[in-house]
Formats: sequence, structure tokens, C-alpha cells
Amino acid sequence: MSTVALLADAVAAASPAAGPLADPGHGAASPADFMAARQQMAFTLGFHIVLASIGIGLPAITLLAEWRSLRTGDPVYAELARRWMKAAGVLFAVGAVSGTVLSFEMGTLWPGFMDKYGQVFGAAFALEGIAFFIEAIFMGIYLYGWDRLSPRAHFATGIPVVVAGLLSASFVLTVNSWMNQPRGFKLVDGKVTDVDPLAAMFNPATPVQAVHLILASLMVCGFIVASVYAVALLRDHRAGRVDRYHRLGFAIPFSLGAVCAPLQVVVGDWAIRFVHDNQPAKFAAMEGVEHTEAGVPFRFAFFEIPNALSLMLKFDAHATLRGMDAIPEDVRPPAEVVKTSFEIMIALGVALLALAAWWALAWWLRRRAAGRAGELGRRRDLPWKPWFLRTAALAGVAAAIAMEAGWTTTEVGRQPWIVYGVMRTEEAVNPNPGLRWGLYIVLAVYTVLAVATISVLRRMRRRPEPALPSGGDAPEPSAPTDEAPAEGTRSREVRSGR
Amino acid sequence: MSYADIALGLILLGLSAYLLFGGADFGAGLWHLVSRRRTDKDVIEHAMGPLWEANHVWLIFVMVLTWTAFPPIFADVTARHWVPLSLAALGIVGRGSAFVFSKAVPDRSRYRWVFGVSSVLTPYCLGAVAAAVATGEGSWLGAAGVYGGVLTTALCAYLAAVYLIWDARRLADDGAALRFRGYALLSGAAVGLFALPGAAALGVHSPLILLSAAAGLTSLVLIVRRAYLAVRVTGALAVVTVLWGAAEMAGLDLDAAAAHDAVLQVVFAALGVGALILVPSMTWLFVLFQRAAPKQRP
Repeated sequence: MSTVALLADAVAAASPAAGPLADPGHGAASPADFMAARQQMAFTLGFHIVLASIGIGLPAITLLAEWRSLRTGDPVYAELARRWMKAAGVLFAVGAVSGTVLSFEMGTLWPGFMDKYGQVFGAAFALEGIAFFIEAIFMGIYLYGWDRLSPRAHFATGIPVVVAGLLSASFVLTVNSWMNQPRGFKLVDGKVTDVDPLAAMFNPATPVQAVHLILASLMVCGFIVASVYAVALLRDHRAGRVDRYHRLGFAIPFSLGAVCAPLQVVVGDWAIRFVHDNQPAKFAAMEGVEHTEAGVPFRFAFFEIPNALSLMLKFDAHATLRGMDAIPEDVRPPAEVVKTSFEIMIALGVALLALAAWWALAWWLRRRAAGRAGELGRRRDLPWKPWFLRTAALAGVAAAIAMEAGWTTTEVGRQPWIVYGVMRTEEAVNPNPGLRWGLYIVLAVYTVLAVATISVLRRMRRRPEPALPSGGDAPEPSAPTDEAPAEGTRSREVRSGR
Repeated sequence: MSYADIALGLILLGLSAYLLFGGADFGAGLWHLVSRRRTDKDVIEHAMGPLWEANHVWLIFVMVLTWTAFPPIFADVTARHWVPLSLAALGIVGRGSAFVFSKAVPDRSRYRWVFGVSSVLTPYCLGAVAAAVATGEGSWLGAAGVYGGVLTTALCAYLAAVYLIWDARRLADDGAALRFRGYALLSGAAVGLFALPGAAALGVHSPLILLSAAAGLTSLVLIVRRAYLAVRVTGALAVVTVLWGAAEMAGLDLDAAAAHDAVLQVVFAALGVGALILVPSMTWLFVLFQRAAPKQRP
């Protein structure tokens, strides 16, 4: 989570450059409180976004493992499903409460925004609320229904969790898209009229943002879970054996991430074209285009490829692109932060794509070798494993940083607007004094929360599953899931005997 | 009936559900903190386990509906009362995460402590804000705010004790059932004695007071007579009428604050369709876990 903190700092550090604070003519919030409100929103949202990603992806891979266990009766799949289900239960709860904080912050930090525009995008949140309700209900049934439902019914109750999770993420994303491309209302003498909530929801930015973020969240979840098992496999490797439980625990989530990585490149291309067409200031900041000119080079970190940006965007090496100098000074975003975070996202995205390609190649080679040499082929993949695994162990953190960097890019790139072109962020902030104290407390609480979450997950991982139903004085007599026998009992033979 | 009235009705419905279900979970956290006995804590954890997250979503429902249907009121209340509301939000964080943490790693006692304390902090803060809004008093630290905070916390504790008697019996823990019965009688009498003079002092002249008092007295009789399922209904009625009375007092200018009809139409349609899925699935959730503990899977 320290990456989140760093990014929140970065977002905050950038804010003075945004300029609006020079004019305190609006509300009464002091510059320090305004900054604190932005920092708090960035920090809590950055925290929630990682948990929400896992909340979308982890039930999906859990169901995948459970489905395999139902099909094959293989106890290793059942054990993976059980472990992931328990981790998903903990992370879902932390995600639910950290999401609630965001709902409060909408009003406690940005009442000006809610007052004026709450009704325009509110319907999307109502839909999100319904989806989240369904998700929470079925999460309860799925987590605690292991003993009370047939294995097939238990599997089925997980499906609404995944579907509702995807829907609820998409609905939330429509609101952020709306902040980038506000639609579905008219301003007459500063008052909102002619509200069309569906037009607001299906604004032009919605499709690209929703697909981009959902793919990102699947990558984050897949790579994070895989990196846990990559570490375990490295340990296995040193011990000279490969545990099948670890191998499958790695392969399922890693494959999810690896499949999404190339798709994300395509969607990312769609996204940058969309930003170029619709938010010129954000685009100029992301690509570091300072002056409007023809034949713009592609500048990335320390190198520069002449004419490449014009070529990539317009398929014409001499096309003219609008630069930051075409944007009035008082509506320019802090370009340095936007560019740097954009570059971090691109660099890590490319690295993850390379890792996914490595995995695909190794998989293909292994298949070919296995075809030629039968069982022997299985051993061929071992020599590359340690280096692959070391890299894969970092993939989870890399994916999370990439996502935070991407989020920073779009959020800071929209500044100084909270609603693009319509409402400035400082018009929205709560004018009551003392917001910075709220930030300090939130930082403290979330630091403890992050440490506790990680420590709980680590302890859960170490705790061996009970092999037999526990007796009367078990530490958790109240948790029915713990009474389920651990291995093998969910195979077909046993189930048919119920 | 205007769209604003329907929206207000839905918000009150959501608030009532949050108080009756989510509130009882907070009250259970208070008893978890107070009780020294492991078996009581087990009953509480078992009863809350699969349900608390769904119960919590009622709060999200209320907030979303309020900011969509009455944006200026939402903005005004949250901006003015940002301190207690932020504390409540952090209390929700502490309560929820500490609860799942202590289930996942039962050997760590500090999570149970955080769970208990934040279960008291959250309803206090929310109740204080509710009272400050209802009476029009400026601050949550004023007399009405403090009174509302204490009353809400006590109502939650009473509800939890009433519900937990049945849960303890369901889990075949007669000792715990007897203790929760004692807690329910004590907290019921105390909260009744606390609520009625308060209502008089705040100048509430609603017939709801009589209804609440009658339901409260009936509940005490039912508890004494061990009608533990019936008392869930009367106990809930005694508590929820307090909320309705407070809502009656608030006197907010809703029509001026209401969102456009086009917005409310979409929201109502969404809720109508959503209810078709939500109501059966929530019923299933409650029924599934109200049944006696399952036979162990072979």
C-alpha cells in the first residue's frame, strides 16, 4: 500500500501547480484544507481501487477453481477455491467499508459538487447500489453456504457475486466518465435543468473508461494472487520439488492477468485517442506536448522518436497536434505529474505484457515438448523457472502501481475541473474549516488498516486447514465453513452419497 | 403524492431497515464488548456472520437515494456535520474490518476490541447527526445531539439483545439465551425511561410516541413470557417509531430540494426492477441462515 501513499503524495505535491488556489474568491476553504480534501480523496480512492480490483477478480478465479473441482473432483482445486473464498471474504469486507468511506466523502469533502450535480449522476449510483446489494447478499450466501448448499448450488451462488461486481464497477465508472465528459443536463443561469440521467450515464467516455478499468482490475487481481504463489514456487524450487497446489494456484490467476495484458494495450490505444479528441489539455499533459506543432515526436522518459506521436495518432508523420500552449493558462493541469504517472503506467504495462508473452511462449514450448516426449516434456520448463518466478513475484505490485498511476493520470489530468469544463474543483470543496485534521486521522486509520489486512492474510495463509471436523471447543465454533472437511470430500463420489 | 414524497418514503424505508438490521449489528457489537463470556460472543459472531454486509448496504442505499433525490439537503447535512459523519465512516471501517479479521484469525484479541468500540462509536455519531438535523440544532455536540447519540446507541443495543435471544436458542445455547433475555429486559426498560422524557423535553407531540411506548411495554411482557419470535416484531416497532417521530420533527423543505422528475423516474424504475431480484435473494439469505445449524457435510 505504500505505493498508494506515494502516489497520493505525488498527486498532492502537484496541486499547487494547478493554480486555482491563487484565487480564493469561491467558498471559504483555506488552501491547506482544499489540498487536504484532495489528498484525502486521492488516498482513500487509491486504497479502495486496489481492494475493488481484488473484489472483482478474486471471486472470478475462485469460481474457476471451484468449477474445475466440480468437473474433476480434484481436491487441489477444491482447496484452492476454499482458500481464495476465505481471502475474498476478508478483502470484500475491507473493500465494502472503504467504499462506504468514499460515499461519505462525496458529501463531507465535495458538497458543492453534490449539491449542484448529485441528481445528474445520482441514478448511476442508485444502480450501483442495487448491484452492490446483490453482490453483498450473495457474498454472504457464498461465504457461509459451503455447508448448507449442495456443491453445485454453492457454485451457482458465486456467479451473481462476479456479475454484480462487474456491473457495480461499471456503474461507478459511468460517474467518473461523466466528470470527464459531462452530459445529460443544461445550465440555465447557473441552475441545472433538463436533466437526462441516462444521457449522463452513457456519456461518450463511459465505454472506454469502463473497459479500461475492468481489464486493469482483472490484471491487478490476477497478478497479485499469482505473485503470492510465485514466491511459494520459488521456495519449492529451492527445495527441489514443485508442489501441484502452488503450481495451479499460480497458473489460474496468472493466466487471467496474462490474457488481459494484450487486450489492455488495444484498449489503452482507444483511450489515448479518446483523450486526444475530447480532453486536449489532458492529452497535452500526458504526452508532454508543449507547443502546437506539426510532426510531433514521441517523448518517453529520456528518449524521443521524431514524428512518432503524430504518426501513431493520425497515421500521418506530419500531422499537427495541439500542445499545452493552446490551452488557457488557468485551465491547465499540472503537466509534470500527469506525464510522469502516464509514463509509469505505460512502462509497467509493457513490462507486464512482456511477462505475459514469456509465459505464453513457455507454455507453448512445453506443450510442443510434451507432445514429442510425453511425460518427460513436463520437466523441460524447469530451467527458466527461477528467473521467471522472480519476475512474476513482482508482477502483482507492478500491476497495482500501474493502475494507481493510470488513475492519477486521468484524475490529475482533469484538473482544475471536478466536472470537466463546468465546475472547478475548488468550487466543490466543503467550506468548513479543519478538513486537514480529517486527512491526518484518515491517514493514520488507513495505515493501520493496510498493515492489519496484510498481516491477517499472511496469518490465514500460514494456518493449516483442519483435516477433520473440529470438536466442541474449537476456536471458531460459530463459523460453519470451518467445520467442512478439508480435502477430497467434495469429489463426485462423496457427493453422490449425500 | 409527488415524486418527492415517494422518494422520501423510500429513504425512510431504507433508514428503518438500516436501523432494524444494521443497527442491531451495532448493538450486538456493544454486547460483544460488554459481555465477558466467550459463548455470548460466539452467538453474536454467528448471528452477524453472513448478514452484516447486506445489512450495511441499507446505509449506502439511503445515502445514494438522498443525494440523488434531494441533493441540496444531502450536501448541506454532510458539509455541516462532516466531523461526526467522518467519525461514523471510520467507525464503519473499524467495525467491519475488525469483525472479519477476528473471524479469520481468532487468536488476536485486539480486533475484537476494535470491533466493540467502533460498534458503539458509529451509531452514536449517526444518531447525534440525526438528532441535530431533526431538531434543527446546529451542532452534534449540543444537548439534542448528545441525547440522540446516546438514544440511538441504546436503541441498537436493545434491538440486538431482543434478536439475540432467539439466535442463542437456535444455536442451542440456553445459558446465553437467558443472559440476552436479561440484557433485553434491562436495556428495554432503560431505553424506555430515557426516550419518553426526552421526547417530552424536545416537544414531540406525535401519536407515534404512544405507539412506541405501547410496543415497548408489550415487548417487555413478551420477553417475560418467553415469546421470543413475537418480541422481534414488537421490539422492532418500538424502535422504528422513534425514527419516524424524529423524521416527522425535521420539517425539511423537500419539494424545493427535490431532483427533477426525469431523475426520480429512472431511479424508481431501477429500484422496481432491482427489488425483483433483491427481495427474493435477501429473503433467501435470511431464511438460509435462520434455520438450525446444518448437519455436517458427510
